[in-house]
Amino acid sequence: MLNKSFLVLSLLACLAFRVNAEQAVTPPGLEYCTVCHGSQLKGNSNIGAPRLSGLSTWYLSRQLRNFKQGVRGAHPEDVTGKEMMSMVTHLSDQQLTEIVEWITTTESELPRPSISGDIQSGKALYKSCAVCHGEGAQGNEQLGAPKLRGLNDWYILTQLNHFRQGLRGIETRDAFGQQMQAASQILTTEQEATDIASYIQQLSITKSKS
Amino acid sequence: MQNISRREFLSYVGAVGGSSALLKTSLAMGLMTQDSYSGPVKIRPPAPGHKPTVLILGAGIAGLATAFELEQAGYQCIILEASFRPGGRNLTVRNGDKIDEMGNPQICEFDKQDNLYFNCGPARIPGHHRRLLHYCKALNVPLQIKANSSKMAYFHDDKSLNGKPKRIIEYHTDVRGLMSELLWKSADANQFDQLLSQEDVAKLMTFSKTYGDLTENGKYIGSERAGSTTDRMLDYPKPPVPLELKEMLDSRFWYGGLLGAEIYDWCEPLMEPIGGMDAVVNGFLKQLDNAPVLNAQVKKIFNREDGVEVTYERGGQFHTVRADYCFNNIPAYFMKGIENNFSNTYQTALDSIKRGHLFKIAYQMSDRFWERDGIYGGISYTSEPVSQIWYPSHDIHASKGILLGAYTWDPKVSAMFEAMSPQQRLDAGAACGEKIHPGYSQYIENGISIPWARMNHQMGCGMQMSKDDFKQYFPMLQKPEGRHFMIGDQISHHSGWQEGALASSEQALTQLNLMLDKQIYAGGERHVK
Repeated sequence: MLNKSFLVLSLLACLAFRVNAEQAVTPPGLEYCTVCHGSQLKGNSNIGAPRLSGLSTWYLSRQLRNFKQGVRGAHPEDVTGKEMMSMVTHLSDQQLTEIVEWITTTESELPRPSISGDIQSGKALYKSCAVCHGEGAQGNEQLGAPKLRGLNDWYILTQLNHFRQGLRGIETRDAFGQQMQAASQILTTEQEATDIASYIQQLSITKSKS
Repeated sequence: MQNISRREFLSYVGAVGGSSALLKTSLAMGLMTQDSYSGPVKIRPPAPGHKPTVLILGAGIAGLATAFELEQAGYQCIILEASFRPGGRNLTVRNGDKIDEMGNPQICEFDKQDNLYFNCGPARIPGHHRRLLHYCKALNVPLQIKANSSKMAYFHDDKSLNGKPKRIIEYHTDVRGLMSELLWKSADANQFDQLLSQEDVAKLMTFSKTYGDLTENGKYIGSERAGSTTDRMLDYPKPPVPLELKEMLDSRFWYGGLLGAEIYDWCEPLMEPIGGMDAVVNGFLKQLDNAPVLNAQVKKIFNREDGVEVTYERGGQFHTVRADYCFNNIPAYFMKGIENNFSNTYQTALDSIKRGHLFKIAYQMSDRFWERDGIYGGISYTSEPVSQIWYPSHDIHASKGILLGAYTWDPKVSAMFEAMSPQQRLDAGAACGEKIHPGYSQYIENGISIPWARMNHQMGCGMQMSKDDFKQYFPMLQKPEGRHFMIGDQISHHSGWQEGALASSEQALTQLNLMLDKQIYAGGERHVK
């Protein structure tokens, strides 16, 4: 049995490393992920599934665990969160690790702007975000603040609203989520959330160009 | 796509909107079906010695029909299908079949018997769905009548008549009686003097008396048309106590079920293939030169100058294939997740098609208890979340039966079911069924649930576009971009119906013919120069 699973794992590893420059192979059994998150996990706003390529390993692991344990996605009004939760609930810890490894091998084009906020206003508002998420939105593992660069603007906006409205980050087991939930209260309007999301989108493009 | 909103409209908005929508539909459809259908499109055959290649994405009904017609015309087709099975939403499940719900895969545990199957997607064919009926005939798919309505089935509203279900025949009889009484009263009070001559008013009063079974002085006091509380064979009939007008108006009975057999797509008699709707899929498969490539998930679609290039992933390997043309049956909302070089407008048009949330439950019942209650086929309607209960009209008096235990169109109700585990859904459906048929749960042996918006590779049924988007983008999606053609019920006015899928295929093939005409013309010109 052990030998067999070792064989499967090494096969998996071979597949995962057979990175055809930009085309990461979908590990067997994980085809479901690409149905919503798209080719090379580029994201699909029509399904509400964000781009995943480029996210940090530690952040991905934490979120997958949160979904699995019902820490994230349990709020009845968080429809897409709930959809994601049902995909993860049945997976083993080993499978979650495999998913994270696979995500880090995917490469997809940076998202294009899909919302139009006021970038100057967003820049000013982002100053307080930068304390944790970094000036270039590159994230900070020590503080548990994820990289935001490369995320879809519509997704950043949705999540900011979820935090603001208490759909995310209200679980006591979700310490980082709670921090973010508190931090999101500096935003008083939907417009401000839109401005920040647009600014981060802008940041992703400029940073990757430089 | 407008069809579903019309359905919802009729179901949930009410009789006034419903009747005008119904009228519009009938008129529109009436115009459409002036025997305009003369069989599938005759595709321009390729030049001798040429066998143009076509990639078809998705082995749903539109994809299969498109492949069939193109092969007949001399084209070489490859069908790529992301799922482990062909058919798309034409899904009939039997013993042991996998129901590939995202996150909640189920295995159908119906007994292994020919009569125990469930049509999870399309389940009924009206006589005017000429395209589908053409294929059923051409592909030797035997059909039988499907009773879509039974006047012995029930209307149930938890908030009306103390939640007691009422036979549809009783309800229909009472509604006619009550409405006729009002008509009689109005006529008697000279309300129609401006509109009708005295003679015609007299006729109207006679009509209302006949139509509603009124007394000589225009009263509705119940009618034996609704049945009898006595044994009609041995005793004089005694009609059931009729509804009061106020009770009728306060109930939700007339919200949807009242029109259950009156709408053009549900007009009797309806049909179904013997043994399951997937007979249509199998009919196509038998005729195709190449079986669909299964488990092939499309990752990239690129229009090239002289064809279309598609990359798909299958069993951990990427394959890139090129063809002269591509017919795409993939749900449009997935296209954003597939790399492509479509124009922004075309992609925006694709994005305007939104997921639909239809939901079904089916139970294997140990006993066909409904038949003992006089119900042979048809539908009971309820204000409970399950909305409808369908009784099978095939294999009457068999020992067991598959009952449709829920069919919901209201996105909110469907979302509620989607969020539940399969077992929770079955339990919730059973609790609703108890209110219409006491003892319902004790007959349930097993069951399945189909939340279309959570089904792998489909993630929706009954796609919708807003009215404005429809106006702006639908005509655009009916035309090819490059050599890429969108097909499927999503590119029709009749989303959620196989006839819509077939119409989209026919429309796309007509576009292909136009394109071929142009190419030949251009080629001719080049030749001359």
